[in-house]
Amino acid sequence: MLDTLVSQAANGLVLGFIYVLIAVGLSITFGLLGVINFAHGAFFALGAYVAYQLFQMFGWAAVVLAPPIVGLIGMVVEVTIIRRLYGKEPLLSLIVTFALALLIEAVIRFFWGADGKPFNPPAYLSGIVEYGPLLITKYRVAVLAVTVAALLALWAFLAWTPYGRILRAGSRDSEMVELLGINLPRVLTGVFGLGCALAAIAGVLAAPLWTVSPSMAANAIMPAFVVVAIGGLGSFPGAVVAGLAVGVVMSLTIQFKADAAAASMYALMFAVMLLRPRGLFGERWERFE
Amino acid sequence: MTAHLAPQRFSRRAALALAAGLAVCGSAAFAQNNDPVRIGLIYSKQGPGASIGEYLQRGSALAVEQAGNKVLGRPIELVWLDEPNPQVSQQNMQKLIDENKVVAVVGGNYSSSALAMMSVANREKIPLILTGAAASEITGKSCSRYTFRTQATVPVQMRGLMPYVSQIGKKVYFLTASYAFGQDILRASRAMLKEVGATEIGVDEVPLNTADYSSYILKIRQAKPDVVVGGLVGGDFSNFLKQWNEMGMKEKIPYVAVAVTDTDFWDVGPQASGGIYVKPWYYNNPKNTAAEKKLTADYTRKYEHAPSDKTWSGWIGMRALLESITAAKSTDPKAIVTALEKWKNTEGEFPYYFREWDHQMVRPAVIVGVKKQITDKYDYFDVLKNTSASEAETAQAFGSKEEIGCTLPPL
Repeated sequence: MLDTLVSQAANGLVLGFIYVLIAVGLSITFGLLGVINFAHGAFFALGAYVAYQLFQMFGWAAVVLAPPIVGLIGMVVEVTIIRRLYGKEPLLSLIVTFALALLIEAVIRFFWGADGKPFNPPAYLSGIVEYGPLLITKYRVAVLAVTVAALLALWAFLAWTPYGRILRAGSRDSEMVELLGINLPRVLTGVFGLGCALAAIAGVLAAPLWTVSPSMAANAIMPAFVVVAIGGLGSFPGAVVAGLAVGVVMSLTIQFKADAAAASMYALMFAVMLLRPRGLFGERWERFE
Repeated sequence: MTAHLAPQRFSRRAALALAAGLAVCGSAAFAQNNDPVRIGLIYSKQGPGASIGEYLQRGSALAVEQAGNKVLGRPIELVWLDEPNPQVSQQNMQKLIDENKVVAVVGGNYSSSALAMMSVANREKIPLILTGAAASEITGKSCSRYTFRTQATVPVQMRGLMPYVSQIGKKVYFLTASYAFGQDILRASRAMLKEVGATEIGVDEVPLNTADYSSYILKIRQAKPDVVVGGLVGGDFSNFLKQWNEMGMKEKIPYVAVAVTDTDFWDVGPQASGGIYVKPWYYNNPKNTAAEKKLTADYTRKYEHAPSDKTWSGWIGMRALLESITAAKSTDPKAIVTALEKWKNTEGEFPYYFREWDHQMVRPAVIVGVKKQITDKYDYFDVLKNTSASEAETAQAFGSKEEIGCTLPPL
């Protein structure tokens, strides 16, 4: 029994890190822009498709270009659409970004077709790693490593660089930041692009794991919302803790009662919402209270 | 200006009016013969089922094209609406009938949507031919006089698969989707396990739209079955195959399933594909009829891609409808239903038809195994055999009236 628990828990942690990576972009977008980006899953899918296309045209090395490309697309979207949602009621951003999500899915289907695309991990990363009761595929270990590295880089960026400080200040008091002579709109464009690029990194990593199809966004957006709700909107440590918790809870639920697996993450969210509505690490969001 | 009309003007006016009236009458009579016959299609346009919906629609459209785009000398107009979930499919069915005035509908890949659409077909008395749904109750306890179904039922497909299961081993693990179709598989298979001397050592009912199967695969690995009997659908199935292969299980434990479709495998590639499956049709089956080979040729020429079995399903459903309308010489729903009940396809070794008392298409399905070496882009399967070899065996495989439990009301 212990063996089983250990192996499922380890698997859940790896799954959880994937959820963290998907959710952290969403959390940042909300925390710093005040916009609920329902199209986050669509950028996740776009990341996977751009990676697939780059791989087809140039090989594996080109795949690293996918997140920056999607980030750029995100910045264009911000300038044209998202900018108009700042300071407006949250429902509006939900509706507009939902429409955006449907649009992106339709665009993906238009260019790449409705069929799924076969996309497998590179040869040197296929195979499994067995260590006692633990069984993880080499590719998932690589995903774990890249995710941790990306999260650390993001944290360092937010905590130590001037740009990161501006982002954090801008979320607290945008007027003051502007009075200090900083071009806030440009900063916010960068933030949205960053959120989309993070979604795209998750999409690139998930593409060899889950099938690449136009509707893959759905697999990402729901866990992302649950993780962000549990961890607290706008909280980076919250997204990490919540993502890992969701991953482990789901894996253990699958072990003991498989048909409740999908419901388990919602049950967890429900429990957290009842006990602490702002999320585990959420801050009071003055603008809406 | 006086209002008094000169006699000539009046008669000219009258002549003009008469001429116009005649023209209208004449053109109305003319229009009557060239009024299009509208047929509705309900297949997924977006979401996870989009690629399946596309193959189905292309099959149906090809059947119309092969018939010269005409039936009863009138042009055919296809109206294609989406099948995203049962609620909207039902609304779309209503829309096709009320707004587009279709004479019949072909569609319904998902059993859940199919059941919703059937209730509309029954109430509005419009013929519906279901080309994908496999749940038994459609021609079982929920059967309807206006609904016909082409896909072999789950019990029939499982019965064809079971001998292969027992050959592989006796310890069976079930991995099925948690909805009508998956539950159907469990119900049918559990009954047959005893007959072949196999035992169930584990079962997992997986919620729809599950992306990650690693935890399930760990469970299966712990249980050490001889064979896994699956009931996952579409994108979920593709995800599972990919992860099953990645975790090194493809070579260790065989996976078998029913009601799969080619795109499930094309979407994951040759590396991840493996196992034994039951499906309605395979494009590269040497035993395909001449008409089926022509379908494959036409499709490949038009789309530069091999057709999936869904194309055949969409094609045969539409063919049956068009041939029945022609035989009935009318688009009246009752006439179409009566003609469909008498419809037969005699191009193969033995005829297949819609059974009169439940409207189930009685036709063997094909059992296929993934090739050991896949070299062609689309040719993944070897055809092993059909689920039944003769007309009598097929009729028996589909069950007796008492077993099925369907009683159709009069028209």
